[in-house]
Amino acid sequence: MLLARPIAVIEGLWPRRGSTGRLLRSAGFRFALVYAVLLALSAAALAMFLWWATAGLLDRQTEAAIQADAQSLSERFTAGRIPALILTIDDRLTQNVEDDAIYLLVDPSGRRVAGNLEHWPAGAAQSGGWYELPIERAGTRSMALVQSFTLPDGYRLLVGRDAKVRAQLRHLLTDALLWALLVVVVMASIGALVVRSLFRRTLANVSATAAAIASGDFTQRVRLSGRGDEFDQLAETINDMLDRIGRLMEGVREVSNAIAHDLRTPITRARARLEDASLHATTANDLRAAIERATADLDGIVAVFQALLRIAEIEAGSRRSAFAPVDLAPLLSDVAELYGAVAEEKGIMLVLDAPATLPAYGDRELIQQAVANLVDNAVKFSPAESTVRLSAEATPGGLDVAVSDQGPGIPDGDRVRAAERFFRGESARNTPGSGLGLALVQAVAHLHGGSLRLADAGPGLVAVLSLPNHEQAVPAG
Amino acid sequence: MTGLAGGASCLAVATMLLGTSPVVGQSQLSPARVTSDTPQYCLHLLDQVSEMVRVAEAPPPQEVMALSSEGQRMCDQGLTRGGILRLRRALVLMLRQEGSP
Repeated sequence: MLLARPIAVIEGLWPRRGSTGRLLRSAGFRFALVYAVLLALSAAALAMFLWWATAGLLDRQTEAAIQADAQSLSERFTAGRIPALILTIDDRLTQNVEDDAIYLLVDPSGRRVAGNLEHWPAGAAQSGGWYELPIERAGTRSMALVQSFTLPDGYRLLVGRDAKVRAQLRHLLTDALLWALLVVVVMASIGALVVRSLFRRTLANVSATAAAIASGDFTQRVRLSGRGDEFDQLAETINDMLDRIGRLMEGVREVSNAIAHDLRTPITRARARLEDASLHATTANDLRAAIERATADLDGIVAVFQALLRIAEIEAGSRRSAFAPVDLAPLLSDVAELYGAVAEEKGIMLVLDAPATLPAYGDRELIQQAVANLVDNAVKFSPAESTVRLSAEATPGGLDVAVSDQGPGIPDGDRVRAAERFFRGESARNTPGSGLGLALVQAVAHLHGGSLRLADAGPGLVAVLSLPNHEQAVPAG
Repeated sequence: MTGLAGGASCLAVATMLLGTSPVVGQSQLSPARVTSDTPQYCLHLLDQVSEMVRVAEAPPPQEVMALSSEGQRMCDQGLTRGGILRLRRALVLMLRQEGSP
């Protein structure tokens, strides 16, 4: 039973074969894995540096001392051959206050000639080779680092140092590093689980919101932690996106409803006229007249669709490539002249107040259509004996084209929505129109990076189309 | 995930533990015995110190005599390595005295 429990725990931690692939595809698992590996690599690098700076340093110092010693002995051997070497080794040993020197000089038969090792160690045959040699000092086992040399005439020399301190340090370091390894594994495990948990918790918030929206609850939004970190910024961006999508969906719904509502009347009227003609027309002229009226109704419907398509085309931004420098002064003059006659018929005075030249940058045709829509609205809603003013002026940021009238105006509550497709205020219910004029003006303004502002003219309405300079013009999003 | 991390650390530790020098003599039953920490070597050093003191032109420093007698006493008491250490220091002091003008 004692053995069975750890196995069960391990099975719980590690996935069965079927779920391995899914786990590896998990971003949370990959983040946790990266964390664990980075932590392990950092710990390994630190351990290697510690080893290099402690045990490694001691090793290098010992090797340097042996090499210096061997070099000195080599010089003595060159000067006085074997007898000099024997004397030097004896001197070195008697003066070895550190009590760590190891020497052994053996003759061709392997008999010890000088030094403090009992016999030549088996395996230390390669001249110049380094060996770690187990030794026994006063009944205590230890290790020595030695270098072997083959001398002329069959003599062999071993020079080394007792590595007991080095071995103790290495032992201590090994113990410490093994414990550190255990700590690293534990810390890596805990850290990896925490990273994975944080990642999953953060994503769970977004995922839950997305799932709720996918199931139809568009009121859900991603919760903010309030820390203002990257996740909060992401959440804010997602929420802004959802708000915009919501507004667009609402707009689509309203437009759909408006299309259905606004087109039902003329279609029903056309149908009724055609039906009435088929049932009651007695002459060809009656029939032709009914068809002409129905055709006129259907032309109105086609005009609405054309206006919708026009707005959609403008909002898509495809007309931006046709932008060019344009002088608005003659354009405004043309519009004033075109609507002057209509205004005069209604007893309205149309006044143009614009400078001789008014440079702008954009699509001439679209700007003309936008201004014409504004003037058309103003004339349509103005009472007789009133004045419609079409004015324009350059501003620091571009130019403003304003159309003011003395009509009923638009109530404050409706003014914000007045530029929406098919929106028609209470005062416009009985006036011919499709409710798309201001929507088109606003689309043109946005296309040029400008804006459409509606304000109370007291009495009446003033609509201001602002277009930015060429340098400041920004594409509408 | 932690297995891999642990593996990386294990590799680092193993790399450090592996020495570059081959280990010899491990198959032997007994390691090579060092002969410079035996009572015989202690006597050998004591003889050398006494000889140097005897042939010295100037009287030896008090410290040499103290170290020599202390080393001899320790060797007699079985504290061989401590005795050898003191005798070596006495020898080195004598050599320095001889080397000084």
